[in-house]
Amino acid sequence: MDKNIARRKIVGATFFMFLGIALFIASNIVDELRVYQGATVAVYVVAISSIILLTGYSGQISLGHGALMAVGAYAAVLSRNYWNFPIPLTFAVAVLAAALFGALLGMAAGRLSGPYLAGTTLALAVGLPSLANQFKILGGEEGLTYDVGFPPLSLGQDFTQYKWFFWIAALAALAITWVIFNILGSRYGRQWRALRSNPTAAALLGVHVARSKVLAFTISSGIAGLAGALMSMTISLVTPSAFPLSLSFAIVTGAVLAGVTLLTGSIVGAVVLVAIPEVTAALATHLGGSEKVTSNLPGLMMSTLLILSVLFFPNGPQLHRRKTRKS
Amino acid sequence: MSRIINTLLIGISGGSIYSLMSLALVLVWRSTRVVNFAQAGQAILSTYIGYVVVTHTDNYWLAFPVALLSGALIGALVDIFLIRILARRANSGPVAAIAPVIATLGLLGLIRAIVGMIWGGDLRRFKLPVTNHGFTFGHTTIPFAPINLLIVVTTVIVMLIFSVIFQRTNLGLALRASAFSPEIARLAGVRVDLTRTIGWAFAGAAGAIAGVLVTPTNYLSPNSLDLLLVSGFVAAVIGGLESLIGAAVGGLVLGISLAFVLEYISSSLAFPVAFVVLMAVLLIKPAGLFGGKRVRSA
Repeated sequence: MDKNIARRKIVGATFFMFLGIALFIASNIVDELRVYQGATVAVYVVAISSIILLTGYSGQISLGHGALMAVGAYAAVLSRNYWNFPIPLTFAVAVLAAALFGALLGMAAGRLSGPYLAGTTLALAVGLPSLANQFKILGGEEGLTYDVGFPPLSLGQDFTQYKWFFWIAALAALAITWVIFNILGSRYGRQWRALRSNPTAAALLGVHVARSKVLAFTISSGIAGLAGALMSMTISLVTPSAFPLSLSFAIVTGAVLAGVTLLTGSIVGAVVLVAIPEVTAALATHLGGSEKVTSNLPGLMMSTLLILSVLFFPNGPQLHRRKTRKS
Repeated sequence: MSRIINTLLIGISGGSIYSLMSLALVLVWRSTRVVNFAQAGQAILSTYIGYVVVTHTDNYWLAFPVALLSGALIGALVDIFLIRILARRANSGPVAAIAPVIATLGLLGLIRAIVGMIWGGDLRRFKLPVTNHGFTFGHTTIPFAPINLLIVVTTVIVMLIFSVIFQRTNLGLALRASAFSPEIARLAGVRVDLTRTIGWAFAGAAGAIAGVLVTPTNYLSPNSLDLLLVSGFVAAVIGGLESLIGAAVGGLVLGISLAFVLEYISSSLAFPVAFVVLMAVLLIKPAGLFGGKRVRSA
């Protein structure tokens, strides 16, 4: 049994390594725009997996992960600008700050369920980013620039800035996915799944319900913080307007589309999120609608997909398939 | 002293709007066990419909009933075409508990996108039905204006109508019965599905009234009611999410406390205060001021 787990871990690690190599090769072939989109996909993968961990595994919902991303991003940029931390350390600061914030929130939220949690986190998403306007240190509406520097010269002369973003983001996404896989396979992952399906039974078996929920919220927030820092890296800027309510909605949408109970779905969700504006732009030039229509097409498409997927695959495509096969 | 009274009056006027939004959320929660995040979308769509009437007829008083009726219609349609299907399809599995949240969220995005497609994203202004210059007593002009009076009076009338419907009519009895126990209500001959749809229509109307009342002193854009949704939610939680009186009182409590903080401490603290109030209520008295004994598990 132990041997089996060990073998699976080795297989998993090898898989991730190969995936990483494949991505690096791919980044050398495709053009700049695709590389940049690849970086965005990687950022979304991190953000969506934080939701999958929270919602799909521990059964809690958050509409405020955009705000937690903002916490991470501001923490990273402040530690960079004021203490001149090296880049990897700023990411660690982002994770810690968002996790700390999430832990505080989770202590209140751990007692809440379903709609209460959703409403509380929604309030956070609506209000928190605008707070940045009121503190001088956070740079107000213009925000703060976040500069991760040029790619090291050792990578060659024609190694572009976007490629550098992509490498950092993709590496972070792979690493974080691997970490989450391991967390979900651990005792805590099992506890969360038990909680999700039946809190009473889980408590009876000795799972500390509130503590377990707060832990899930904290870890998920930390991951969201990392996603925030990565996102501001790709746009080189941290502003309140980079974290609108629609960002929180987008990552929830991505998680639901991906099948919220499946971690590997995060990549599907992320690709869909990046592809939607692209598809709608193509659609708009084809159909030639007015500016009003074209600028709202992505939102329309995303919301429609969200509604349809929750109506037809409420538990994700994967579980749905399993269920139909059984019956 | 006059400063205190002025602040109180402004707080009551702001709180009235929160009460209406909170009422809309509570009505839906009672009947369907769903916190309807699409309420902001439904209200904004009704408000835009009212806006069209105002710009075409130049008459606010005509826009009011039109927005109200369209709000009710939208609410009923949402229940029939989304929530009923959702209740049938997503009723089991790990995500069942949060499926309504996600569905109403999707609906919020959908309505917002449609509104944006029709009217665009630019800020619009509503014609003021009555002046927003404060009442004048002798030489002093107070901040409380006829528009605030209109808000308060309308809210009181709406609340009275709702309490008469709920306490004195058969429909109200059916609404209360289906909220309390759908199975028993069905056995007693109540058409629970229809009653639920009526509850959604009432909620849609209340949200539309909130939208039409708040917009003249503000501006109109596809997401201008987001903050109102959050305030309404906070007010509903203060009131216990179950009780209609609680919704009204919760809105007033929030409105008055916000007004005092804005007046006496800092005008930039509106959001943190609302959030702290929400957290405090959830941690200290999670059942709300008027909540029943039922544990919050749904």
